[in-house]
Amino acid sequence: MCVGLSAKVVAINKDMALVDASGARREVSAELLDDLEPGDYVMVHAGVAIAKITADEAGEEA
Amino acid sequence: MEEFITLSHGAGGRQTADLIGNIFKKYFANKDFTPDDAAVLNLDSRKIAFSTDGFIVSPWKFPGGNIGKLSICGTVNDLACMGARPQYLTCAMVIEEGFPIADLLCIVEAMAKTAAEAGVNIVAGDTKVAGKGQVDGIFITTTGVGRVLDNANTSGAFAQVGDAVIVTGDVGRHGCTILLERNEFGIEADVTSDCAPLNKTVEALFAETGNIHVIRDATRGGVGTVLYEICEQSQVGIKLNGEAIPVADAVRGVCGMLGMEPLYLACEGRLVIFAPQSEVQPILQVLHSMPYSQGAAVIGEVTDNVGKVVVEHSFGGKTILPQPTGELLPRIC
Amino acid sequence: MNRAVEILRNYAGRKLRIMEVCGTHTHEIFRLGIRSLLSENIELVSGPGCPVCVTPPGFIDSAVTLATEHNAIIATFGDLIRVPGSTQSLASVRKHNALINAVYSPLDALDIARNNPDKEVVFLAVGFETTTPSACIAVKKAKEENLKNFSILTANKTMPQAYKALQCSADAFLYPGHVHAIIGTQLCEELTGCGVSGVVAGFTAEALVKAISMIVELSADGKPFFANAYTSIVKREGNIAAQKLVADMMEPCDCVWRGLGEIKGSGMQLKAEFAQFDAVKKFSLQPNDGKVNPACRCGEVLRGICKPCDCPLFGKVCDPLNPVGACMVSGEGACSAFYQYAR
Repeated sequence: MCVGLSAKVVAINKDMALVDASGARREVSAELLDDLEPGDYVMVHAGVAIAKITADEAGEEA
Repeated sequence: MEEFITLSHGAGGRQTADLIGNIFKKYFANKDFTPDDAAVLNLDSRKIAFSTDGFIVSPWKFPGGNIGKLSICGTVNDLACMGARPQYLTCAMVIEEGFPIADLLCIVEAMAKTAAEAGVNIVAGDTKVAGKGQVDGIFITTTGVGRVLDNANTSGAFAQVGDAVIVTGDVGRHGCTILLERNEFGIEADVTSDCAPLNKTVEALFAETGNIHVIRDATRGGVGTVLYEICEQSQVGIKLNGEAIPVADAVRGVCGMLGMEPLYLACEGRLVIFAPQSEVQPILQVLHSMPYSQGAAVIGEVTDNVGKVVVEHSFGGKTILPQPTGELLPRIC
Repeated sequence: MNRAVEILRNYAGRKLRIMEVCGTHTHEIFRLGIRSLLSENIELVSGPGCPVCVTPPGFIDSAVTLATEHNAIIATFGDLIRVPGSTQSLASVRKHNALINAVYSPLDALDIARNNPDKEVVFLAVGFETTTPSACIAVKKAKEENLKNFSILTANKTMPQAYKALQCSADAFLYPGHVHAIIGTQLCEELTGCGVSGVVAGFTAEALVKAISMIVELSADGKPFFANAYTSIVKREGNIAAQKLVADMMEPCDCVWRGLGEIKGSGMQLKAEFAQFDAVKKFSLQPNDGKVNPACRCGEVLRGICKPCDCPLFGKVCDPLNPVGACMVSGEGACSAFYQYAR
């Protein structure tokens, strides 16, 4: 029900975050996560970052 | 048979095959009608390959090429797949009223440049202008002919159990490029179309060995569609190594976001080659020395499990590759 | 990984029936060939976690009405386009010029609304707890921008009641990782009190193999259990901001699940203060359940009562090109996955 993809936060613009997943970049909503910063890794679903993850975990989870 | 033509009939998968089988093949049937990329004909006891291909692509230009380059590569590659040296092309254009001449120049320049690289001449053509809205910008059809190399004898029906399956580079780049250019999903990535003329690559292969059973260029429907076509034509099965299929990182990222499978995305500069295991090393050596096939890799082998493409993963999982069906839609939920 | 694979291959205990609730799990389990690793005594059944599959035909009928009678632009996740309604699908009306756009995110539907101010744009809000916040964010932004031509047709669903409704269908659940990333795991802990067992799983080969092997090991002593095998994403408290957003904007409602019937309180709809963004109210739609082919056994497939191949329509009149039931439409659907991978 929930295709998710881990991605790295590249930039923050108000409540939106530009994320990068192995070179594919897209703006997603950062509204559900507090204190996101560039360099953080997140799980993205339907254009929304739903959870923060560590860099190690980002390598494994798809 | 369905009542109306849908986008799926043009997507290269099952429905395209049904359309060809139920309508074109039925009415055009003759002994030379071919399911291969080009027909191989005997003309005054010389073997020639003969093929045609129509091109519609929106947008008409994209990173790595435009519809002009595509229209040359498509037909050149179809001929090359039959082991032919493409020699002459014709070109028919349908142009929409209001199409900028500057854009047309850009397209024609690309055609000339690509034809020169491939060593073919465009010797005849036709131009039609359609009223505004009757076509989307420009449609191009090219037809080509070339002599089959002396030691070449390939067909989609010649795959044999035990053959290695080789792909000449990372898969899905053209389809991914077009998807991104349409910008329907707000995704950006540095992906360039793999669009390229591959006849020199094929000639180099046949200079090394004539022992190649099948060459097919993976266009719409991607490598996945080619694998199923060959299974059917040769009455064999294929076993793929799930981790061996080359995919560019950015293509993987885009596919991950949209829930798509890179094996079904179109390529325009990738060959799928079936050859005996003994030829694998020399073939890879040639491919790695040529400009458009440096990422060539063995992705699997032919089995006797007729009609099935099975993917094996290194952790032990084993499954059937689903047959591509219909237009690709992003899968979210 | 190797140890977990050995556990699955060599299991010789009592027969275990494990239901993967999440459609993405179903899809990945097939794609990765996880079933080929399982001993005969482990059976994986596919549950109702594909939002497309549990969406009743009446919902599609409403979307078709919006597209054809109200000339609205329909923005939808791609998999919904081919789902059959009572008589038509969005794909079939698109052939006749209805405007149907596949989008990656509800936020993209907002863009369509901004770019087409003279058209009504309706986003088809299907999905479970993971997806519902994204629809809420879209509505919230539309309200902030005073975007008047945007609304959503809701069929959002929640899992807790479904777990209870499905309790007897399996020995243990493979809980959907991303749903629990939002709602947390307290519910799963409580469910052990009702005799419901399960493990929260991620989506890679390794994560799935690990979670299934945990179910096998934890089942040994016969007591109800819960474990979280996706700790990188799933926290006990879940995503509180998401829970709050949804609670602020939506309220539970009774909801029909294709195949399962009505489950009380299992749906979500916009609260009255957001009525202008609720397509049902905005366009005075008459909700109906729609008609299903009576021979279709999708409902029993969803409840794990029968396998796709037990349905008389399967592979004969119903296949991925011409789906009759919703389980055949979505790549995540049990019938589609079974047709493509297991035949």
